[in-house]
Amino acid sequence: MRLLIFSLFIVSALTAQSGILEIQWPKPNLQHQKPSTPYPAVLTKGIKNTKLPVYIPSSFAYDKNMAVVADQDFYTISFFLKGASIMITGDRTFQENVPSNDAQFQKMMKASPPVEFLYEEEIMSADFNRHGINYTLSIECDNPKKDKRCKEEGFVKSLYTKLIMVGGRP
Amino acid sequence: MKYFLTLVLLLLLNSCASKPPIASEAQTWKGKGFTYYPAGQLKPSNSGDGRYGDNYIYAPNIRFPLAYAPAFINSQVYGIGGQFGPRGSLCDQRNYQYPWKDNYCEKRTRSMPLCPAGAGHQGVDIRARNCQNNKHYAVAVEEGVITYIGSYSVKLRGKTGRTYRYLHLNSRSIQVHRGQRVWRGQKIGLVSDNMGKTKTSIHLHFDIKQTIRMGNRSKSIYIPPYTSLVDAYKRLLKGKP
Repeated sequence: MRLLIFSLFIVSALTAQSGILEIQWPKPNLQHQKPSTPYPAVLTKGIKNTKLPVYIPSSFAYDKNMAVVADQDFYTISFFLKGASIMITGDRTFQENVPSNDAQFQKMMKASPPVEFLYEEEIMSADFNRHGINYTLSIECDNPKKDKRCKEEGFVKSLYTKLIMVGGRP
Repeated sequence: MKYFLTLVLLLLLNSCASKPPIASEAQTWKGKGFTYYPAGQLKPSNSGDGRYGDNYIYAPNIRFPLAYAPAFINSQVYGIGGQFGPRGSLCDQRNYQYPWKDNYCEKRTRSMPLCPAGAGHQGVDIRARNCQNNKHYAVAVEEGVITYIGSYSVKLRGKTGRTYRYLHLNSRSIQVHRGQRVWRGQKIGLVSDNMGKTKTSIHLHFDIKQTIRMGNRSKSIYIPPYTSLVDAYKRLLKGKP
């Protein structure tokens, strides 16, 4: 019987390929969430159940045209500019089915800086960690071959430096 | 005796958990004439270095992202009519033939820490059954929610937490809206040559992003999709997508 229980434990451990990341909430943790002017309802309603710190670029905090898709473990908020759209995602889920003995994985794990500005498939993005979880801020352009916002990191970098926490709850 | 049995059981489980499900298969599959080159074996050889030997299925049990077979994974850039490929038409019939050729990590300037070169293609390019524009539907690979719709891209966050990106769909053909819950196999949009204000070849760029835990932090990475797609395509051919 003990053997059976032990076996079941081992099976469950091997099949546990995903989970929820612990969040190291800042202390005091809600100071930045009380603006003098309330944020638009589309934002506050959209993230009311989100259990991770929600960051967006400060210049878009009162943009009523933002689009919010969120649940308790992740959020994606999009903002629309002329000829481009900005997206920020925070996600506290993870998957672990990656071969940890792989050379590239090991190299990546050693080398990853706290924030990386990346030229991805026709988008420019900033990939960063806060509170132990991963966030991605990106811009996609209607004309990715010519639009500098999607070819050079300056625009995304300027958005990244102006991120503010607008919600999320422990 | 008990300890011996435990040890045997552990070894057995470990071998089941770590063995790549398609590692033992050769380049052909006995069914519907489908053949494919191994993961990471990029064709032509000057198109870059892939993750050769990595047969791990990173996104198990996803549905194939096109509604119907046949479909063809091969290079848009190094294929016939491509920027660095042999002269000819992008619609050349030879671009619409097996075997499949992995093109994850194909030479690009995009940052890709998982590629041997440190840069490369972040997903794979898939041609539908023929070269008709706006004819073939891309579908949801798993149940989830649509998180983003851009001028030429759609993002689906699956229940597993992975994010699937579909590029070059005809923006006027999109069948879903932001925030919509979708079921596995639900139509998303038509494969086209759309890339915003510029054009590309008629194909679907498909990539998969997932978060991995790294000590006390995490990282979002584009995982190799080819083996997952080979697996999904076999199910599609069997009529069990």
